Amino acid sequence: MQWNRKDLLELYDLAPEEIELILDTAAEFKKVSQRRVKKVPALRGKTVVNFFVEPSTRTRVSFELAEQRLSADIVNVQASASSLLKGESLLDTIKNIEALQVDLVVMRHSAPGAQAFIARHLNCGVINAGDGAHGHPTQALLDIFTIREKLGRIKGLNVTIIGDILHSRVARSNMWGLLKLGANVTFAGPSTLVPREFEEVGVRVTNNLEEAVAGADVVNMLRIQHERQTLGFFPSTGEYSRFYGLKEETLKRMKSNVLVMHPGPINRDVELASSVADGDNSVILEQVTNGLAVRMAVLYLVAGCVKK
Amino acid sequence: MQNLLMSAAEMPDVIRQIAQEIVNAKFPDGYALVGIHEEGVPLSERIADAIEAATGARPPLAKLDISMYRDDIGKTKHLPNIRETDIPFDINDRTLILVDDVLSSGRTIRAALDAINDYGRPAMIRLAVLIDRGNPEYPIRADYVGRKIDLPAERRVTVRFEEDGNPGIFDEAWLDKHPVVKE
Amino acid sequence: MKEILLKNARIVDPARQLDVKGDLGIADGKIAAPGKLAKPEVIDLAGKTVVPGFIDVHVHLRQPGNTNAETIKTGCMAAAAGGFTSIVAMPNTKPAADNAGAIELLRSIAAREGVVRVLPCGCMTNGGAGEEMAPIGSLKSAGVVALSDDGRCIQNHALMRHVVEYAKYFELPILDHCEDVALAAGGVMHEGKWSVLLGMNGISSASEELMIARNILLAKQIQWKIHMQHVSTRGGVELLREARKRGIMVTGEATPHHLTLTDECVKHFDTNYKMNPPLRSEDDRQAVIEGIVDGTLSVIATDHAPHTRTAKLVEFDNAPFGIIGLETAFALCYTELVASGRMPLIDLVARMTTGPAAVLGIADYSLAEGNVADLTVLDLDQKYEIDPATFFSQARNTPFGGRAVAGKVAMTLVGGKVVYAGK
Repeated sequence: MQWNRKDLLELYDLAPEEIELILDTAAEFKKVSQRRVKKVPALRGKTVVNFFVEPSTRTRVSFELAEQRLSADIVNVQASASSLLKGESLLDTIKNIEALQVDLVVMRHSAPGAQAFIARHLNCGVINAGDGAHGHPTQALLDIFTIREKLGRIKGLNVTIIGDILHSRVARSNMWGLLKLGANVTFAGPSTLVPREFEEVGVRVTNNLEEAVAGADVVNMLRIQHERQTLGFFPSTGEYSRFYGLKEETLKRMKSNVLVMHPGPINRDVELASSVADGDNSVILEQVTNGLAVRMAVLYLVAGCVKK
Repeated sequence: MQNLLMSAAEMPDVIRQIAQEIVNAKFPDGYALVGIHEEGVPLSERIADAIEAATGARPPLAKLDISMYRDDIGKTKHLPNIRETDIPFDINDRTLILVDDVLSSGRTIRAALDAINDYGRPAMIRLAVLIDRGNPEYPIRADYVGRKIDLPAERRVTVRFEEDGNPGIFDEAWLDKHPVVKE
Repeated sequence: MKEILLKNARIVDPARQLDVKGDLGIADGKIAAPGKLAKPEVIDLAGKTVVPGFIDVHVHLRQPGNTNAETIKTGCMAAAAGGFTSIVAMPNTKPAADNAGAIELLRSIAAREGVVRVLPCGCMTNGGAGEEMAPIGSLKSAGVVALSDDGRCIQNHALMRHVVEYAKYFELPILDHCEDVALAAGGVMHEGKWSVLLGMNGISSASEELMIARNILLAKQIQWKIHMQHVSTRGGVELLREARKRGIMVTGEATPHHLTLTDECVKHFDTNYKMNPPLRSEDDRQAVIEGIVDGTLSVIATDHAPHTRTAKLVEFDNAPFGIIGLETAFALCYTELVASGRMPLIDLVARMTTGPAAVLGIADYSLAEGNVADLTVLDLDQKYEIDPATFFSQARNTPFGGRAVAGKVAMTLVGGKVVYAGK
């Protein structure tokens, strides 16, 4: 298996072997962060632009640190500071950045497919750091990496993702990655936020929390956004929490070694009880640690295919 | 076109000779072998076997992947896949013997020295190779050499052990799986 | 007196249910008996097909306001190349055609620069904003043939009712873009499997069907003509089928793209697949085809919507809706519907001639002697790949580049004058 892409846009595009190559590579990069010197010269002389057209803290920090540990030069562009506000098109803005001899663009954007669109017009590499509700491949990779590290495999595992699936790029990218690697995927949440259409690609869809978590090896709890409430998708976060929040009692009925995950940031005691978030089954902070390793791996592999 | 430089049958003797030279150097206790991926790893195991046979004591082994320290990212068509680095001991103040199959340009060893440096501060570093083809691009020389050969630059040397199939040491044209992209 | 004799033609004339081999004469801009011509210019069609000139009731010419995308002149040339001899110009220009002056401007430019007949359409409401009724009587006096707020839909049902009632006295048909804005919810593609997989905001079928149902109820109550633009859903086709059976004065159109493409096309985020109504599911596409085949949808209209390359070269969410269609309509429909054996040629020609003529109240749209010689010559045997580089339209926003089709427009005549003679 040889990595051959200058862009990482969505896990949907990747073969299972490519996903596994990223995970294997990430395992080696994880060791780098555990060393005395937490840095390698792999991307020395390369310039990476973190272009975030949507606010983000944890993903941006994770990418930034990953780039630093690979010895890349980094430029951060925030939407508010960019010329997008002056009416320049996204493509013109990115082309101008590329003209500064940039090797990689890490982009977050609210429009699905924005990265796929610019990647078609650029020679530099493009990494999708989240495009609307469409995809967030590095988040899914770090989730899958964490599961594989903890449980030793992906194939045959029952992975349940609970929450606002409709608006979740994390759920979609996880779904593609997990299905490709042979896991059984369940989506659960209120009927307004969990489209039945996912059944058509082999996902089990349920609106019942107990049914969703029975037999699960992993539960990934998504952040519920208050703004969905004002748009009429559910009555209140209180009611959401009552029917779909993961609490101590529910956890007791689940497999004893079930992994509890969350992409963050957590609404404590809304989708996830504090005691569960901080409990023995939680791997939430390990997800963050692994995110760094996965992003280093992706940056390294993609950079290797950018010809300059 | 492939030429046989050394048959599989000759290799154990040459490896034993390297092992004996290392033994004769009388390194302080705790000296370790660090095999560089890919073929340096099986070679280091064989040298350790030979040292153990000669002295009854087996030096500790480590594996090192130098991909993250290469100087040609983006210049080749593909990057090599990163393999496992496993250094199961503290390298500070220890004598390390880097082990690789072929000493060619010296760039791999340069990368390995950089990598080692990020893990700690060894007391001393030595280099053992099966083949020294004698056209270094960097001022790097091996301390323990199985065999020196002279080859034109357009030929490459390939070492294969039993587990790789069709064992032996060959030279062949540079039809590299990681060809250099013309700038 | 200019005379033309079209020899060795296959004459397909839906109004008279004719599909015969023969010759067709033109004298003084009108259709004449071949035997009565004195010294005609003879054109041997060698078996090519002659049909009445196509009518497109749904075209955006972009002038005034966005002449970088299209002008009346280039839009008319594109129409001629597509076999259309009359086109209805949608009023959502900038400024909108919601007053007599705007209509007079359109008519004067069209008379000067247009090679086909440009039939003006006026807004139903001022600025097409759906708030106050436009001066419909003055628009009629200025020469509009229909009313539409296309691109938008009057959400206030009481206002819509008044517009239809008022328009009835002036005998102006309503061409309505059916979309409930709240249900459409800022969507950019069809709500269904693909919007769910892609994480894009969907426009539900219900948002279209709700307004089709509303219009059917109003048409029944007021007894006046409401034409549903670009019907794209199975539910919409079924509502229309039922209403038409009951004699309600409603008609509907389908676009070539809703007959040939589905929402799956959006998966690579190519903005040339973004239109409103959106490309729907395969089931919807089949229902729209069934509607065209059985006549529930009596009109094929292009919704020719030119946009500059710049406007479409953006993120999918931010791209404008719409594609051009005049120069690809016949070939796409002929390939999809007739060459595939789903309907006879004469019915397809009807959907592009007598169907739209009926919506506009044009009587006897046929190749009968004495009628105006607006006609189109088709080379049905010609197979080719669509090449946007050859378009007369100023715009290139089509997803059909490279598509293999059959059926080429060979010649277009308006008032007996050749305005397009093939490429």
